[in-house]
Amino acid sequence: MSNAASANQLLSPELLARLERMELVSRKVFRGRMKGERKSKRKGQSVEFHDFRNYVAGDDLRLIDWNLYARLDQLFLKLFQEEEDLHVYVLIDASESMNFGDPNKLTVAKQLAAALGYVGLCRADRVSVQALGPPGRSAPVLRGRASLWKMLNYLGSFESGHNVTLSEGIKDFSIRNSGTGVVILLSDLMDKHGYESALRMLVGRRMDVFVMHVLSPEEIDPPLRGDRRLIDVEDGDAAEITINAYAIEKYKETVKSFIGGIKSFCSRRSISYIPVRTETSVETIVTKYLRQRGVVR
Amino acid sequence: MSWTPAFTSTLGWAILAAVSVGIIILYFLKLRREPVEVPSTYLWSQTIEDLHVNSLLQRLRRSLLLFLQLLAIAVAALALFISGMRGDVSEQSRSVFLLDNSASMQATDLGAGETRLTKAKRMIEQKIEEMDDTDVAMLVTFSDRPVTVQSFTSDRRRLRDALASVQATNQPTDILGALKAADGLANPRRSSEMGDVNDVQVAQEKPADLLIYSDGGFAAVTEFNLGNLKPEFVSIGTDSVNNLAITAFSAERNLEQPTEVQAFGTVMNLGNQAIETTATLTLDGEFFDATPVSLEPGDQTGLSFSLESEAAATLELKLDLDDDLKIDNIAYAGLTPLRNVSVLVVTEGNTPIRLGLSTEKAAKICNADFVLPSYLSSEAYAARAFAGTDDLIIFDRCTPPQMPLTNTFFIGALPPANAFGAASTGNTPPETTATESGNADDPQNADTNGTNDASEPSETGVAQTEATETGAANWSWQSPLSSVALVDVDRAHPMMRYLELYSLLIFNGRGLQGPSGSTDLMVADIGAVLVLAPRAGYQDLVLGFEIVSTTETGSTEINTNWYAERSWPVFMLNVLRYLAGAAEATGAPSHRPGETVEVRLENAIGEAKLRRVGGEVTEIRLGTSGIAEILATEQPGNYRIEAKDELAGLFAINLFDQRESTIAAAPSIEVGYVAVEAAVGNAEERKDYWRWALVAMLGVLAAEWWLYVKRVA
Repeated sequence: MSNAASANQLLSPELLARLERMELVSRKVFRGRMKGERKSKRKGQSVEFHDFRNYVAGDDLRLIDWNLYARLDQLFLKLFQEEEDLHVYVLIDASESMNFGDPNKLTVAKQLAAALGYVGLCRADRVSVQALGPPGRSAPVLRGRASLWKMLNYLGSFESGHNVTLSEGIKDFSIRNSGTGVVILLSDLMDKHGYESALRMLVGRRMDVFVMHVLSPEEIDPPLRGDRRLIDVEDGDAAEITINAYAIEKYKETVKSFIGGIKSFCSRRSISYIPVRTETSVETIVTKYLRQRGVVR
Repeated sequence: MSWTPAFTSTLGWAILAAVSVGIIILYFLKLRREPVEVPSTYLWSQTIEDLHVNSLLQRLRRSLLLFLQLLAIAVAALALFISGMRGDVSEQSRSVFLLDNSASMQATDLGAGETRLTKAKRMIEQKIEEMDDTDVAMLVTFSDRPVTVQSFTSDRRRLRDALASVQATNQPTDILGALKAADGLANPRRSSEMGDVNDVQVAQEKPADLLIYSDGGFAAVTEFNLGNLKPEFVSIGTDSVNNLAITAFSAERNLEQPTEVQAFGTVMNLGNQAIETTATLTLDGEFFDATPVSLEPGDQTGLSFSLESEAAATLELKLDLDDDLKIDNIAYAGLTPLRNVSVLVVTEGNTPIRLGLSTEKAAKICNADFVLPSYLSSEAYAARAFAGTDDLIIFDRCTPPQMPLTNTFFIGALPPANAFGAASTGNTPPETTATESGNADDPQNADTNGTNDASEPSETGVAQTEATETGAANWSWQSPLSSVALVDVDRAHPMMRYLELYSLLIFNGRGLQGPSGSTDLMVADIGAVLVLAPRAGYQDLVLGFEIVSTTETGSTEINTNWYAERSWPVFMLNVLRYLAGAAEATGAPSHRPGETVEVRLENAIGEAKLRRVGGEVTEIRLGTSGIAEILATEQPGNYRIEAKDELAGLFAINLFDQRESTIAAAPSIEVGYVAVEAAVGNAEERKDYWRWALVAMLGVLAAEWWLYVKRVA
């Protein structure tokens, strides 16, 4: 598959053009590794004024505010906000459960990852798009718009079926990536062991966490009726159920309660929760929903 | 309450159990659920867990269909039990079922073509099914007579068989006989008088439930004491009935114009709805005339038809409607062929009789033959008397040696004491001292010829003693000769109809004592002076005083002024009509269904056939005196008695019972001054629809299974 073709599959040229004008918003200010386009905790050499301080011997004379010295006859140093790069991690849940729906959830997750990654690349952020589980280990760290193809190649290199639990995947990610930054988790969060420990782990590492909860309409309102034997595609677990209107009602209540639980969990920990329905186009999600929710601007 | 399952055999229950097992097998087959892959059972598990919160109910919900189906089977099983669930258990262990099978029980006012009798039988059958082994019951049916179909037994099968054999009759209702039958078993009597201390009641009294299944269409029974019987009246039928009835129908020839026939009918609306219909008269099975009938409830109307017929004819009047009781919608009448009655008068001369038999009306129906008493001793008389050729023989102041085989009218004389031995001693010389045969028409001869010793009234009462000694307890004088003052006249009797007799003067007469069964038609201060008595199919009328007396000198004198009264020719006409049978000669008699009809035919006829017009033919055998007793009179219709292919007799059988035709079910009956309210006859009855419900349920099950298979496939 050529680079252009894979890019077209995930992101249309029109979307790419729109994405170039966007930037990822981090609600936290992190220390970057390289000079970038973002404010850093460091005071440095940027155009953005931060503060004054008294001159002490050894300070760079270039930073002395001579106008102030002329008026006050004292030496003050002008301090500027340092601009550094941002670490953007886009984590994709590549378990078998993501291979569901039309379009399937993994595809939508990949599209979103590509879009957000491209926004980061355009802003000279340090972008790492990776799947949870084994494929994540080979994920490249990218910077600069030119790395788009690498990112897309990576996204095209893995498929679903990497059934690691969410917490294991996050743990593996955390071990491999010690830095802080923005973490965007694209997952259906349907982990029988729970999503809480995984998110807690990210929050504990002072990450600015965005959870994009990808769900297909079939999951929200399943078109199933009658006596069914439900088989879990991840672990083969079977559940026998007679699906009638009552059971469907009950399931919807469960889904609602599940989403409500995630929202509540996220809001208590300053995690941005963004529900994503697979039937909605990626353009709409990125240019509208994510903008409304302050993920991009 | 006890249980009596609907299925007595295990097979029925086995089939029912198999249906349940089948349902469960189907359910398990159905549980081969279709596998479906889902991204995660995570949420579904939560749902299932939620469903399991109240696990038992949720399990029920999961298999709701199964439980519904099993429930339906359980309900069906319960229904099978309930159908035999006991109702009220009787306090007594003895029951007497009195089942009305009279004509009114054929009414179909219950709907669905079911007759009252069918319903009553079904109700009794339920009662029989409810009986314990220790219960005993008897079944008595009643119409105008009781029939003990099954005496007391605890064998339910015999009771059922007996009940099944009960058929509806066309007879009116009289419950008294049936009550007496039940009474005899429940209330044993002492063998003698109550005051006798040595007479103890031997039989133990047997209290019993008296269950009367009837529509209550009978007269209140007052002459009855219930005693140990506990009555319960089950009223069968409804209050809302629709019945038009013919309550009378007869045909009479016009005596003036014998070929002219008048047919009269009475139609009553005995239901509670106005009815409009037509009445059709058929003559010998062919349509003759029709007339509209429109009656409000309770009204009646008379129908009159004129027709001409010389020969014998059968008439049928039919109401062209389909009401609740069919039997009273049709009436029959027979018309005997036109004929005169033949009367033999044995007298020494009696002008009043001659005048009475020669009036204009009497002459039309009567051929009178006058002979002297001496004729009685002739062979010709003997042959004539025992051939039955005369319809009536009038013995004026004379007595035959034996009674003839025909109706007789004795004036001033008693029938012979050996009246009943007549046939075997036909050739015995008559006791009369009548002179040699002569023409009685000649008054001179009559006046001068001999007298009758045996029947001559004697002032000493010797004749009375002789009669008492020689004759069985039959005719006798009650008093010596004396003047007579009339006290009472039985005006209701057809023989005495239209008579005004209180201005009658009677100089000498004697009181009469007739044999048992006799009817006093005229009673004077000295006793009965005109008595009618039956005699083996014939009737004998005896007048206790002479009309014309013969004096000691042999001259004739008048003993009464009756001959000068207007009542005399009327009386003689009545005698001709009812004693000589002239009334029968114009219209055939009508009897009620089930009555024994006695028909007198000529002696010479040995065998005859009875044919119901439009029906079956049966052989009838005649008695020695030409009397035939016909018992097969259950079916209404015209009956012809045919001998040697000629009509020998004709009669009709009709219900003609207003009470029987009044078919609205009575709310209560009165038995022995005790009013018994209707129990449950009109109550709502449980209908067994469970069979249909069960079939529907199995149908739903099959359809549901078919749909399931179709959907899964």
